[in-house]
Amino acid sequence: MEGPPGDEMLLAAVAERDMGAFRTLYERHAGWLALRLARRCNDRDLVADAVQDTFVAVWQKPRGFRGDGDIAAWLWGIAIRRLVSRLRQRTDVAAVFASTGTTPAAEDQVLLSVEYGDIGEALARLSPEMRAVIQAVVLDGLSAREAAQLLHMPVSSVKTRLYRAKAHLRATLAEGLS
Amino acid sequence: MTGWHVGDETLRRYVERTDLVAEGAAVEQHMLTCALCRARVNSAVTAADLAVIDLSAVWDRTRDAVEVPRSSVFERLLRSAGLPAHEARLVALASAFRAVWLVGVAAVLAFAALAAAIGHARGLWYFLAAAPLAPCLVVAFSYDRRMDPALEPEMVTPYPALRLVLLRTIAVLALALPAVLLLGLVVPGEAPFAWLLPAVGFVAVVLAASTWVSPLNAAVAVSAAWLMTVWLLATRSASPAAVLQARTQVAFLVLATASFGIFLVRRRHLRQLRPWR
Repeated sequence: MEGPPGDEMLLAAVAERDMGAFRTLYERHAGWLALRLARRCNDRDLVADAVQDTFVAVWQKPRGFRGDGDIAAWLWGIAIRRLVSRLRQRTDVAAVFASTGTTPAAEDQVLLSVEYGDIGEALARLSPEMRAVIQAVVLDGLSAREAAQLLHMPVSSVKTRLYRAKAHLRATLAEGLS
Repeated sequence: MTGWHVGDETLRRYVERTDLVAEGAAVEQHMLTCALCRARVNSAVTAADLAVIDLSAVWDRTRDAVEVPRSSVFERLLRSAGLPAHEARLVALASAFRAVWLVGVAAVLAFAALAAAIGHARGLWYFLAAAPLAPCLVVAFSYDRRMDPALEPEMVTPYPALRLVLLRTIAVLALALPAVLLLGLVVPGEAPFAWLLPAVGFVAVVLAASTWVSPLNAAVAVSAAWLMTVWLLATRSASPAAVLQARTQVAFLVLATASFGIFLVRRRHLRQLRPWR
């Protein structure tokens, strides 16, 4: 249909030990993966290691992709877990679940609430700790245990914070509706 | 898939990491299914020089990691024995050629052991003539360029030559000795162990001599001298037991110690190793 080969074709070529396809796959995905990982961990070396681990894992087991969903989602699943396991070895580095701390200008705020509605505002009203848990579990799709390792906190804290965060969101949204 | 794509302004904030939580989450969820927006994020990151990591450096590391062949059993054994990875690689490099030479050495020794098993005094002479020479010949051959193509890159690597030579000597001996010992069990009496000290002595002589001449020449000279001695002793109808005497063994111990001393003193001359021919 179109010129450049799709990710699935690249992955099939990687399974045939095609270094060129591997490179293309890397160039297509390493950038956004690194950026997204860096939003979860401030340590650049760890992010670099996690990206490397991810692609080494892809090279070793390209058939790990079962063909369900997008390859990007599969890659992200590998990448975030590699980051978690790298973080586990390094207790001195804390994951940061950052809202980067900057508050957007008033007109941006308005635009945002137009685009994302109440849910954006509800999320923004959560405490950073609760947001971190929501992000890890709901948005990144980690298990409670993985999230606990990523955030360096006990599993029980992840569970209670998740519970409270959900209650908070529900309350804020209900408030908005009424 | 859908007609919706991340807006330019949102994309910019996401890349610059000044986005709001909900906004960033929306971008991230969308990127998982949209190749177009992934490509836009990638190019925005490169264009604005905002890449969090050095992508080409990480690519080099990744490629290196997947291109490195799986290390051999021998190499992993050395590593588990506590040798640093690069040294294990250096020592293990020659193993393919060593295998060829071990076969040759084993054949010679098998012959000697067989001869010893058949005719007693005469056979024992064969064994005593051949066995002590095996380790020093294997060491010498393992440093010969024609036998070991790994040597050339190895010798130009800036690396303490002494350490390298010793490491490889130990590695070669570790492989050669069990084979020789095993065959020695076929030979009756104390002879299987009597050759050990002469063998160590000859290896030390070869190492010491290699600060002057090529190890192969040294090994050939040592072999010739030893064979001559054995021949002289055998033709003058001396008993093989003469070699096994404690006094002779002490002499070999002295030879080994002295040669090793010379080798250490003259280790600077090891750089002459390079143009072996």
